[in-house]
Amino acid sequence: MAAVNMRWRLLYRALSRRNQRLIVVFLALMTGAAIINSLASVYFDINIKMSRELRTFGANFYIGPTVSQEMPISAFNDVMANAPDNLIETGSPYLFGTARSELEKVVLVGVNFSAIGLLVPYWQVEGDWISVDFDNRNAMIGRTLANRLNIKLGDTLNLVKDRERKALKIKGIIDAGDASDNMVFVNLDLAQEWLEKPDTMSHALFSMNNMEGEVENYAHDLKEKHPEWTVRPIRKVSSNEGEVLSKIQGLMGLVSVIILLLSTLCVNTSLTAIIRERQKEFALQKSLGASNRSIITQVLSETVVIAVLATLAGCILGIFLAQILGQTVFSSSITPRLVVVPITFAMSLFAALVAAIIPLRRIVQIQPAVVLKGE
Amino acid sequence: MTQPKIAIETRHLTRKFGDIVALDDANISVRKGEFVALMGASGSGKTTLMNILTCLDSASSGEVWLDGVNATAFNEEERREFRARHIGLVFQQFHLIPYLTALENVMLAQYYHSVPDEPSARHALELVGMGHRLEHLPNQLSGGEQQRVCIARALVNEPPLIFADEPTGNLDEENERKVLETFQHLHDEGRTIIMVTHNPVLGGCAERIIRLQHGKIVS
Repeated sequence: MAAVNMRWRLLYRALSRRNQRLIVVFLALMTGAAIINSLASVYFDINIKMSRELRTFGANFYIGPTVSQEMPISAFNDVMANAPDNLIETGSPYLFGTARSELEKVVLVGVNFSAIGLLVPYWQVEGDWISVDFDNRNAMIGRTLANRLNIKLGDTLNLVKDRERKALKIKGIIDAGDASDNMVFVNLDLAQEWLEKPDTMSHALFSMNNMEGEVENYAHDLKEKHPEWTVRPIRKVSSNEGEVLSKIQGLMGLVSVIILLLSTLCVNTSLTAIIRERQKEFALQKSLGASNRSIITQVLSETVVIAVLATLAGCILGIFLAQILGQTVFSSSITPRLVVVPITFAMSLFAALVAAIIPLRRIVQIQPAVVLKGE
Repeated sequence: MTQPKIAIETRHLTRKFGDIVALDDANISVRKGEFVALMGASGSGKTTLMNILTCLDSASSGEVWLDGVNATAFNEEERREFRARHIGLVFQQFHLIPYLTALENVMLAQYYHSVPDEPSARHALELVGMGHRLEHLPNQLSGGEQQRVCIARALVNEPPLIFADEPTGNLDEENERKVLETFQHLHDEGRTIIMVTHNPVLGGCAERIIRLQHGKIVS
């Protein structure tokens, strides 16, 4: 018991009464642990974050008719209802048709407004998005068409059909950089009614989760099930998604390894300097009868205690660092995960122990007769 | 069984470092309870002899008998064990561990010998007049006080052999006197003391002087 107390007393005194170099060891390990912790947190969140990020380029899945111009709306409902769980983020049918306004013919597009924000997030909208599907009083109009018709935000666009008129208030003007700039967007029900195409759509677009290439698999299944449909992933986004993810994950792994190496080198250099500074202390302990093993155990205990404390501090710091990374790169928070903690501990302790190997070998080489001789 | 009367004996002891002969055919004998000074100029071989006698080094040839045990063929582990149990060391530069108190420095010797025992460590410090400085760190002590802590550390396990290497080399006159008094006191208690010194005044305090010159015992 007394011997155990003395061992703890040695450890406590060694850590509490010295040494500035220990602070360097602590900081090196803490920084390494913080970076590993934050990168690991991001690593586990990156699938979700990147998938979401890449979907800001638009929808990544298309279904449409094979031969005719249109297909029944039931196809859209079937996909929405029967797709695997959590695959579909959102989706909307699109119905295209020509309608007459008071001034000229316009292309009328019916959509589900509640989904459109996620399907075409790159639209720059002056005014407001229409956020609900049942809104049949407001419309959104492309910038080019609005300019041609001299329509401003808040103006009314009147659709005319025989003796019927439909007044639509312009709630948003769209800059899409594509054909949408020449179209008028209304809710799907209104478009079906006005174009006299009930329960019909031209095609449908979806935004799907594609963390592990699920979109390709689903497209394949759907094609087999419905050969009468044109089914295709929008490759520009979906197929690159997996490649980008694996490249980013590889990069993060590489950065972690480099940080770990740098931490190990820093700890190794500091421990070597500490052992050199303390060689008289170790020589004295040997002259008093201490074995190499007991001195190595003592130094190793000091290293492990510092490594554990530094890793704890690094884990806490890592949580904040992960949030900064998440906000900076993905504009969203990173979910703290418990699994990251043992990974960080394992890697930090491994780095500390590897860093200690060479300095500990120097302890064995210390000759008390040489080190302690009077001068 | 009677205890051997000879504490230290060397027979034709030689230590070479490459081509250099640091100790050449040294034969000495020290009785139990004797206070002996090892004297000689720098490079005379006294520290080499001391290192072999304290089991910090081994001889190239010859024999060493310590406290009735042939220590010549000890391996490193046996030397370490013998050092912990039979030898007390006093250094010129004290070599106290800077982050341990005076008491803890003394207890460290107990820790590597057997088990730390605070009351006997206190007693050892009181014996050298340091009972009032138990909780002080080495940098809060004067040179003389540090040396007395070092002596207490050498004494605490009650080793049969005490070796002191230039014990007053770093002390002023007043502290030198106090340390010498401590050694005289220990000698009066019957302990065997070997003191390496080149100081004739210090050497004069010993019962007998062994002189070395160029690695040889000359008297």
